[in-house]
Amino acid sequence: MSEPKPRKSQEPKAPRSFGWMAEFADEHALLDAARKVRDSGYSRTDAFTPFPVHGIDEALGIKPTILPFIVLCAGLTGLSTALLMQWWMNGIDYPYIISGKPFGITPASIPVSFELTILFSAFTSVLGMIFLNGLPRFSNPVFTNPRFDRATNDRFFLYVDARDRYYNRDSVHELLHSSRPESLDEVLEDTTPAQLPRPILLAALLLVLTGLIPAMIVLNMRAGFSDLPRWHVFFDMDFQPKKKPQQTTTIFADGRSMRPQVEGTIARGQLTEQDPFYLGWDPDKLTMTESNSVRFVTAQDPVEPPVKEEPAQTEAAQEPVKEEGKQETGEKENATPETAAVVEAAGQSTPVATPVTPATPEVAAQVPAVVPPSAPMDGAAAPAAAALNLPWLAELPIEATEEHIQLGKTKFEIYCSACHGYAGFGDGLVSKRAASLLQDTWTPPTSLHIDRVQKQPVGQIFHTITKGQGKMASYASSLTPKERWAVVLYVKALQRSRNATIEDVPADQRDRLTKAK
Amino acid sequence: MATIASSYNPREIDNTVDIPGRRSPLITGNQTYASVTDIVCRVAEDAQPRLWWVLFGFSSVTATMFLSLIAFLIYKGVGIWGNMNPVFWAWPIVNFVFWVGIGHAGTLISAILFLFRQNWRTSINRAAEAMTIFAVVCAGIYPGIHVGRAWLAFWLLPYPSLNLWMWPQFRSPLLWDVFAVGTYASTSLVFWYMGMIPDLATYRDRSKSPIRRMIYGLLCLGWSGSSRHWLVYEKAYTLLAALATPLVLSVHTVVSFDFAVSQLPGWHTTIFPPYFVAGAIFSGFAMVVTLLVPMRSIYKLENLITLRHLDNMNKIILATGSLVGLAYGTEFFMAWYSQNQYESFTFINRAFGPYWWAYWIMVSCNVISPQLFWFKWMRTNVVAMWVVSIFVNIGMWFERFVITVTSLSRDFLPSSWGYFNPTMFDGLMFFGSFGVFMTLFLLFCRYLPTIAISEVKGVIASSAHSEHLQAELLGHGHSHASGHHHATSHDAVH
Repeated sequence: MSEPKPRKSQEPKAPRSFGWMAEFADEHALLDAARKVRDSGYSRTDAFTPFPVHGIDEALGIKPTILPFIVLCAGLTGLSTALLMQWWMNGIDYPYIISGKPFGITPASIPVSFELTILFSAFTSVLGMIFLNGLPRFSNPVFTNPRFDRATNDRFFLYVDARDRYYNRDSVHELLHSSRPESLDEVLEDTTPAQLPRPILLAALLLVLTGLIPAMIVLNMRAGFSDLPRWHVFFDMDFQPKKKPQQTTTIFADGRSMRPQVEGTIARGQLTEQDPFYLGWDPDKLTMTESNSVRFVTAQDPVEPPVKEEPAQTEAAQEPVKEEGKQETGEKENATPETAAVVEAAGQSTPVATPVTPATPEVAAQVPAVVPPSAPMDGAAAPAAAALNLPWLAELPIEATEEHIQLGKTKFEIYCSACHGYAGFGDGLVSKRAASLLQDTWTPPTSLHIDRVQKQPVGQIFHTITKGQGKMASYASSLTPKERWAVVLYVKALQRSRNATIEDVPADQRDRLTKAK
Repeated sequence: MATIASSYNPREIDNTVDIPGRRSPLITGNQTYASVTDIVCRVAEDAQPRLWWVLFGFSSVTATMFLSLIAFLIYKGVGIWGNMNPVFWAWPIVNFVFWVGIGHAGTLISAILFLFRQNWRTSINRAAEAMTIFAVVCAGIYPGIHVGRAWLAFWLLPYPSLNLWMWPQFRSPLLWDVFAVGTYASTSLVFWYMGMIPDLATYRDRSKSPIRRMIYGLLCLGWSGSSRHWLVYEKAYTLLAALATPLVLSVHTVVSFDFAVSQLPGWHTTIFPPYFVAGAIFSGFAMVVTLLVPMRSIYKLENLITLRHLDNMNKIILATGSLVGLAYGTEFFMAWYSQNQYESFTFINRAFGPYWWAYWIMVSCNVISPQLFWFKWMRTNVVAMWVVSIFVNIGMWFERFVITVTSLSRDFLPSSWGYFNPTMFDGLMFFGSFGVFMTLFLLFCRYLPTIAISEVKGVIASSAHSEHLQAELLGHGHSHASGHHHATSHDAVH
């Protein structure tokens, strides 16, 4: 222990006194003196000890602390924060759908709730201790006496504050002196300059200003605009050694990163691209057609792209085409009541056939020419449709056998009858239900017995089943090509049966029919 | 007042035995309040021994290497590690669990032993808490750099994001881990700091240089030792201990959920939480012994960190090591008893598969080596216990390796089996994390109070008090072990 050196000269014009401080060598002497002080009626007292002396609270009359209640409140706050957070974040604002498990509070919320309860309570314990003790307090009159340095080492100090109600400088001195302290000093005001030394202030200012620089840079970047590309601090996989479509390369002489098909090879699915059996029309006869609406047709993907051709509600506007393939006539007079209503609704739409004019063969290869670029998918308000004019197959590529008709009937009743009805009048259950609900987004299915459909060649009906039309989806994924042809056969049989005369019945059967009537 | 502590002589008094009718002192050498202050403060006030500089030079270079490797990892990507299908959770997670486990001893000693009124904790709790903080620092690095894009690691936290527009998934054990480890790290830090406030004030009051005095004065928040402050302080400390006790147990429980909540054979077991907690305490105490045995000899702290303290810690190592051994046995039993073919295969594969060497290193280090502590001469021989503690550290790393890698490398589907090969970076980064740990610990010894001075003084006071009572009851004078005489009569104390 170094001998304590006085830091201040004891001048007669002594600074303000805060009270008396008695020094004791051990805690028992301190406790005895403390009891004496309390018994004498002083309450603004304190003891300073190197470790918590047990019994000092009773000896000095220190009230218990309210810290546990504060911590309890903090714990409950932590718990409710955790529960509310998990309920709102995972149940309300961004519900996670996982194996049908319930949203919000579940047993899986327990760990986080527990941890946050502990976190809030623990920090409140420490911060509450610091706050209730009035810390940090760097300027304290007790520190003015160098002897006080031993309060954190091996000495025990008893202090009576001058602000006590009964404080009297001489009587307190006498009282403390009677406990035979090691030393007895007056606690004096700290007269050392209160301001921080200038270098420390400057250093702090410099530190704060330096710390502001990154914040200012970030703020400038967030608020301002820049024509320069993004500044890549982290690449985030923005640059990858790969080529995207339409990018150039130096590896190949033609500079194209996307490579054309290697000659002499056949790509997957390519074999069916040119086969009338899969298309419903004959690509070989394509050049012989003189229609303006088809310049170049190729089927990159015979199934996927939605080919939008002459939706039912716009037929009134189609220009008549002379070929057998495409018959667009005013249907108002022939239309069933449902279709007539739709035709009226769509009557104001301007029918424009907008065939794609390919700029280059490559572009055309990727866009089916018959699809108007902006063909809307909603049926009722479709303003335009391309007039489809293709060399349709007029003959069925399958034989009209009983077996095929039965296959077509089965598939028609599974897939088609829901909308088109069992007899093909467009009065399927779905359609009836939609009509009864007055569904204004519902496009009534076309009757298969109207003149336009009746006149369609088999290839075009096959094409409609394969690609879909208007609101009708493609059935290529549900039906094999053969099944589709069988359905076409069945549709033709249905049409024939609904528009037949007695002459169509074989002569030897006519009697039976008339008899049945 | 008694004089300054006499030099340490282990033969002088054996405080590892309790003679009936006479209480063995927790600290030796007839310490007084002043001598305790002196012994502890000298560690930071005197010039550091040459060994400190050697160790600090070595570990700071290693730590720098670790930080450079992290920078390289962030630049290059996690592909520099050996993590590869099917073992994507490899050394980074093994190291994370290893370090978090070590981090359990500190708070356990501070909190649980405090609640159980184990006064011997006072000499070792500060160093153990410091070790906890530094181990958790090392642990926290690994998941942070394992996420791949380390600069987005803050996405783990639930914050209102303007770019992401979503919240974390609170039903995931990995998110529980963020909360558990985050709470544990921050609570341990404030617990450690709050315990140091009075001792920092002691450092302040002994400082000769004004700068040192100012820095310690700022750190201790102007602590004066007021009894009114002490009362709130003690209440806060008790509350923290009561809060930290379940927290310690919860942290490794949640870490074990990372494994146990998955469906993988060898991971999907309910034994994992208690098994992991026992293993964590085991490894943590081993690391405390590893650090304290050299520390007490380098800084001449043998009178404060006595053989009795080490003996007690070795008993805990023995107990938790046996618990871990029981857990290994239980896993095998369940593999057979469940009659689940995947579970059975996993455990046979662990012991006799391609990783048999790791398994048997684990068993011999964790189960067999602590059994030596049944013998008292092993528990009280500092060299022997240091060697055993090293073995336990090795064994506990291998335990996490065995759990993580064997289960992942061979799961349900033989076609997706593989064998994990670490790279140079795996090894260097694990080694480097020890550099970070040791650098921080050496700096702690250099600048902060390594022993809880005020708590040790409280123990001196209470043991002197009880000795005094005992002497009075027996009609004797003051016992010779009582460090200081009482100046006044204190009948009214009782």
